[in-house]
Amino acid sequence: MFQNPEIEPADLPGTDNVQWQALDPAFKRLRQLQNSIGILAIVVPLVIVTVVANLPLLAVAILFGCWVAFAALLLTWPGISLPKRGYVLRDKDILFRKGVVWRSVTAIPFNRIQHVETSSTPFDRKFDLATLQLFTAGGSGGDLKIDGLGATIAEQLRVFILEKAGASIEIS
Amino acid sequence: MVTKNAWQSFAPLFALLFAYQGDLVSKLILGGSAVAIALVTGSVLSWLFFRYQIRDDSILIRSGVIKKKQLDIKFDRIQGVNTQQNPVYRALGLVTVSFDTAGSSGNEGNLPAVTRKFADELREKIGGRKTNRAEDEPAANVNQALLRLDWRDMIRIGLADRRALIVFAFIGPLMEQAGDQVEQVVKNALQSANLESFQVDVGTGALLVAALLLVVVLLLSMVSIAAAFLRYHNFELFLDGRTLRSRGGLITRHEHSMDIEKIQTIRLQQGVVQSWLGCFRMTLRQAISGRKQRSQKMFTVPVVTAELADTLRPLLLASESGRLTQDPTADLFHAVSPYYMRSRILFVGLLPAVALTTLLVAAFGITGLIALLWLPLVALLSWRNWKRAGYLHDDNEIIRRSGLLGYRTVGLLFRKVQRITISQSRYQRRKDLASLRLYMASGSVRIPYIAHETAKQLRDYILYKVESSQRAWH
Repeated sequence: MFQNPEIEPADLPGTDNVQWQALDPAFKRLRQLQNSIGILAIVVPLVIVTVVANLPLLAVAILFGCWVAFAALLLTWPGISLPKRGYVLRDKDILFRKGVVWRSVTAIPFNRIQHVETSSTPFDRKFDLATLQLFTAGGSGGDLKIDGLGATIAEQLRVFILEKAGASIEIS
Repeated sequence: MVTKNAWQSFAPLFALLFAYQGDLVSKLILGGSAVAIALVTGSVLSWLFFRYQIRDDSILIRSGVIKKKQLDIKFDRIQGVNTQQNPVYRALGLVTVSFDTAGSSGNEGNLPAVTRKFADELREKIGGRKTNRAEDEPAANVNQALLRLDWRDMIRIGLADRRALIVFAFIGPLMEQAGDQVEQVVKNALQSANLESFQVDVGTGALLVAALLLVVVLLLSMVSIAAAFLRYHNFELFLDGRTLRSRGGLITRHEHSMDIEKIQTIRLQQGVVQSWLGCFRMTLRQAISGRKQRSQKMFTVPVVTAELADTLRPLLLASESGRLTQDPTADLFHAVSPYYMRSRILFVGLLPAVALTTLLVAAFGITGLIALLWLPLVALLSWRNWKRAGYLHDDNEIIRRSGLLGYRTVGLLFRKVQRITISQSRYQRRKDLASLRLYMASGSVRIPYIAHETAKQLRDYILYKVESSQRAWH
């Protein structure tokens, strides 16, 4: 028997009481490591310029002052921004949130997913991490990219989402 | 069926002619006959080597004299069948059929010079497979046009052509110089004619320049009106079952078709000239195919009024919806928050203006105050933009309105949404506002600065619509 019950807008499942899943804690360490490499990479030319150009003391102080401030920001930023990221797996869609100043919440229904991809860089593999990418029609590149997931969780998510997406294709 | 790059292949012939000793007439005769022979042999050869085969579920095209090419197009992947007819073909009752396919754009096939009857049969065969899937087929009323454009519409299309304006913008600065020269010439002519009583003053010069400008504008308009006639003469729009078709063109007849199931967004837009004329350009967008090329199949109705667009909408959305209006002047639209305007005035207007002014005043003194003019300009544009922003929705679809000089409205069905993002800047969070972006297979539609609660409700409702939909989105 065909059923078509009326839906009250207030009864729709909202996102206010969902349990946001955090990213892998190792991801923060990875980001900090990557940023420290960047900071060190900058300091080398900085020193060379200082020595070769024979800069006055004030200029050197300003240059290195900026560098220290920049380094402090880069090292603390993963600790601030990564806890703001999180995902929720629901029965019919996946939610992903991110952002400190500009916050956003993205929702992708499983029955619109075209394909799912996991990838990992050599760095990721050292920390046992992986990136999950979800693709929908009409988008360019990864439509939703969740990096810093544990490698096993990413693989589980990939299989789960693919199954959900495949099930919806068979129905329609 | 002339092969491409014909000129390159004639290069040896020209060299030969150049070397040949003889007078010009014999050279021309020799050259002309050689070109004619080459063209005819080329055509005959490519005709001989062109083979196609219609199978149950695909069409196979084999072509190429030296470089062979084989193409297998599955009917399932064909999104539209278009035909073109040049004057020679029209006299012989032939058409060129081309197929719109989903996927890589290099893989598109042409069937040149087939009879119209065959083209119609082919279209029916391809379309027939589609309609078998969609069970409820409304009675086809092929011969009743939904829309016909006449010569007045051609003038509207021509005047609204943005390319004319662009050309004009480039020529504009040159015009001034040309005006100066004309003035000089006139002056010299008058002096040589010894008409000393006639003074060429500044006023006359300005008049001359203005007249010249007017002539150029008129000429450009004529050209674009002529182009409109060429492309859209006798433009007609039909709905044939679930396929939308258009036909038009003066010399070459273009015929386009699109499966209405595949429409992602319906867009009405107008530029300045179109807003004066009270008309719109309507585009129906399909999914973007190919991630690299980002090629998009669009179906265009070059000129349409808002009322007419509203009568077309229920047909295009297959009576699934379409009760809403896409007329931007309708007062049913919800406004977006005035903070949309205020945030722009603050962050794009006030802060840069103050910073720039202090900088300029420090550098150039009191003349630096001119930078303060930035603020009223931004304020005016933001106000206008805010006034024109708005949205309207019912249970099945949403229409977004935006615009600065003209209007633009985009309509879409909830069940075809691919993903949804709600975003908030710090400023928006303080005011409890958010921007909602709906990603379609044809691109995204953003509804800025609405109440956060409204955005979340809309999002949850759209998700429910998408997730409970059993129908294909494409």
